[in-house]
Amino acid sequence: MAMPRQSAIDRTPPGFAGLRARALSWARPRRPEPLPATLDRHRVYILPTAFGWFFLLLLLAMLVGALNYNNNPALLLALLLGGAANTSLFAAHLQLSGLDVVAIDAEPVAAGRPLQLSLHARARQGRERRGLRVECGGSAATLSLDDGAGSATLEIPTRRRGWLDPGRVRLSTTRPLGLARAWAWVWPESPLLVYPAPEANGPPLPTGSGDQAQARLHPAGDDVHHLRAYRRGDPRRAIAWKPSARHGALLVREYEQPVGADIVLDWRAVDGLAWEDRIRRLARWVDEAEREGRRWRLQLPGQPPLGPARGADHRHACLRALALLPFAGGDDVGAR
Amino acid sequence: MSARADAIAAGAHAPAAPRRIALDPQGRLWTLLAAATCLLPLLLQLPARMAVAIAAIGAGVAAMAARRALPGWLRLLLALGLLGYVMASSRFAFGRDTGCALLAAMLAIKPVELATLRDARSLLGFALFAPFSTFLLDQGPLSLALGLLGASLALAALLRLSDLESGDVSRATAPWRWLLGVLRLVAIGLPLALAAFWLFPRIATPLWGVPERALARPGLSDRMSPGEWVDFMSDDSPVLRAKFSGPAPPTSRMYWRGPVLWNFDGRTWTQPQWLRGLPPAPVEHAARGWDYEMELEPTDRRQLVALELPTRAPEGAALSYDFGLYVPRPLNALTRWRMHSAPPVAFDPKLKVMLRAMALRLPEGYNPRTLALARQWRREAGADDDAIVARALRWIRADFAYTLTTPLLGRDSVDEFLFEQKAGFCEHFSSAFVVLMRAAGIPARVVTGYAGGYYNRYGDYWVVRRLDAHAWAEVWLQGRGWVRVDPTAAVAPERIYDTLDDRAAGTFGRRLVPVLDMGDWLRRGWNDFVLGFDAARQQRLLRPLGIDQLGQGRLIALFACVAGLALGWMLWLTARSERQRDPLLRAWHRLSARYARLGLARAPHEPAGAWAARVAAARPGASELPTLSARFADWRYARGDGRKQGRRELDELVRALRRHRP
Repeated sequence: MAMPRQSAIDRTPPGFAGLRARALSWARPRRPEPLPATLDRHRVYILPTAFGWFFLLLLLAMLVGALNYNNNPALLLALLLGGAANTSLFAAHLQLSGLDVVAIDAEPVAAGRPLQLSLHARARQGRERRGLRVECGGSAATLSLDDGAGSATLEIPTRRRGWLDPGRVRLSTTRPLGLARAWAWVWPESPLLVYPAPEANGPPLPTGSGDQAQARLHPAGDDVHHLRAYRRGDPRRAIAWKPSARHGALLVREYEQPVGADIVLDWRAVDGLAWEDRIRRLARWVDEAEREGRRWRLQLPGQPPLGPARGADHRHACLRALALLPFAGGDDVGAR
Repeated sequence: MSARADAIAAGAHAPAAPRRIALDPQGRLWTLLAAATCLLPLLLQLPARMAVAIAAIGAGVAAMAARRALPGWLRLLLALGLLGYVMASSRFAFGRDTGCALLAAMLAIKPVELATLRDARSLLGFALFAPFSTFLLDQGPLSLALGLLGASLALAALLRLSDLESGDVSRATAPWRWLLGVLRLVAIGLPLALAAFWLFPRIATPLWGVPERALARPGLSDRMSPGEWVDFMSDDSPVLRAKFSGPAPPTSRMYWRGPVLWNFDGRTWTQPQWLRGLPPAPVEHAARGWDYEMELEPTDRRQLVALELPTRAPEGAALSYDFGLYVPRPLNALTRWRMHSAPPVAFDPKLKVMLRAMALRLPEGYNPRTLALARQWRREAGADDDAIVARALRWIRADFAYTLTTPLLGRDSVDEFLFEQKAGFCEHFSSAFVVLMRAAGIPARVVTGYAGGYYNRYGDYWVVRRLDAHAWAEVWLQGRGWVRVDPTAAVAPERIYDTLDDRAAGTFGRRLVPVLDMGDWLRRGWNDFVLGFDAARQQRLLRPLGIDQLGQGRLIALFACVAGLALGWMLWLTARSERQRDPLLRAWHRLSARYARLGLARAPHEPAGAWAARVAAARPGASELPTLSARFADWRYARGDGRKQGRRELDELVRALRRHRP
């Protein structure tokens, strides 16, 4: 965790955007917060949309005209429209206030691939909250609460390994009339992990150190397996699609203990490459070893060895360790 | 471009990038339906041919543009063509009517560009102007109903569009749900709207312009040609409503005096304008009079009507020589008047010579038979004017009939009526009677106005309709001055002192009468509270509370108070909605908030006990909190089922939590 965080707010843009950034620095919350966070009325902001300004102009014209001619039906119409517009501001506010953002989570992905960030929200039932727009990092999704709970999934682009701070997530709505946009920021404290990007084309796995180095598992030929429920992190190719379709739930083939030699993935063995390239090669090997169902051990500088073991958990531990390796020379900027 | 992309990627960007959201078919349908409903009442106010043309073009444009976008030159051509047509129809005179027609035309061709959400919203915005302009032209119930319906539909369409914007249109929602949503919005906004309506300072005189086209149906004119009132007398729209404080006169004495006509040219009776400048004639009124409040529908004339005979001019009006009431500006809005009238005992008993001559003048060479008859009567009666009047009435009662279907009269109209037709209605009777009297040497004049009235028992008021329009005569008799004589009443009293009953013949009509009465009563309430409200009435708003005159400053203060209350109510609703419902949790959260001020906030994930221990460590001496938190945790987590039993215990705990101060 001592790693410098990848910040979402990189620099203050000039001019109008700068003004906006300054306004943002005043907006609540002003620092990352632990979840769950409740959106109370102090942190819901509301401003008219362009259409809202147009509507206001329209109402003012109506009011002045009606007052001038003392035309009461026209005045009443303008006032009723104004009253409804005013109420719509409160209604927009109420769409957000009282909402609990319970958690955000995302399965780690390799750098360069989009991260599927899920935001889970909850609210007391009784008020319809639908079509809330969730925005983060340039991508947007729609959050609708059914029976008091709902979630939205955002695709966040990732550029490099390590901790990704998604920054502020904006929840907004223009309902009910589209006259004003109410929004609130959520700044989750929980950082998201991004694995290093595996090398695209690299040498094959180093050979193992045991006797049965060639005894690889051939999944297609192996008929002895059982199925179990999908667990997070299971490789996609292990999913048994046809049985899954029959049962309506994701099932994964689990093979009998595959036989193979332990592999040693040693940081020192991949010398001759640049710092980041070494990480990427090791990442690729970790993936490959897991795909082939082999046991491996990862040896990183200054850390106790990981493994030997296999499986999704081990893969995660290895990739996490790789992702959190310091950047070359501890220089944050060079990696960008 | 790249700077923008960066800013978006940074996630620190406030508004969403402007998106062009395409309109879905259902949204388009809603938008078009709402716009058409808004446009409809406005079209009804336009000249028929123009309205049909605009409606046809609107429908055509909407149908064509739904299939594919029209090319730009065609749109321009359509717009220019329609605008040119409208301008040409109004002869390039730009005013309010033209403005309304232009608005209707623009609204009709606006659907040529209806592809995105933005287009739909701007169309709806403009469409909301249509009911507004309709109300400037007409305030009838149909316009009001259609206008309100159009506005509600437009708001419902806006609801639908923001569903589209938020990407939540997958669910099938019944249309009435949207209308319900609109109703809810309007209802919550209602207190604020009504406060503004009644309390926002009104402008007494327009800042610019006056309506060119009155909302009025023309009232009684200052001229009368017998036979031309037939349209008037089949129109049952109300002219005035009067509420008496104290006894009301019997209908046979309810004569609502309007223009008094002196001059006759053989065909038309007219009012001498210069008489308005003279001070009112001396009148001795009967002791018992009638106090009443009169609500006058707009007439676009400067003359009021009043029950015979007004004792004084109400505020804002002036009495003329022959007791007509005049106001400085045409009555183009609903007005209310406090009046007092009493029958005259002696009305101008000393008639001036010049006026007497005017009341005897007849056009030369007209109606020779009438003149001859009158001279004969005068010879037979000697100086007895009363006998001549009585003889004329006897003759009319015996030989004449009442009918609304009369042929067009020729040159000697009175001769034709008296000796050939012997049937007609009030205009004929009064005109012929006055000519007969003048020919016999009795000063006489025609008085027009309304006679009778219809009592509405729901609202305890009298309504006078246009079909109550009436003309009668006044003759000047020695010692008594002007005396009202109604020759029509001699023939057909039931046709004058009308009640709706004789018109709504048949059982069906009779059953409808209470409904009609109720309708008129509602309309009066609407008139009273909404249409007739103006700057003057606004200032008298608090009169029942003892405040005579509400000045501008006080009015603004009052408005600010009430608006503040209404807004406060809405804010309270907002705050209330996020309130924790469990009283124990609420008290617990308040307690934590008190510690938050000391920098000892409880983290959301921190257990009660751990937090209390942390606080106790930070603030030695605060021993109460750990006990309280233990009790809280015990109540909330350990005894989940038994909550209902220990009601008193719970209350005690809540009180203790509320009392506790760090």
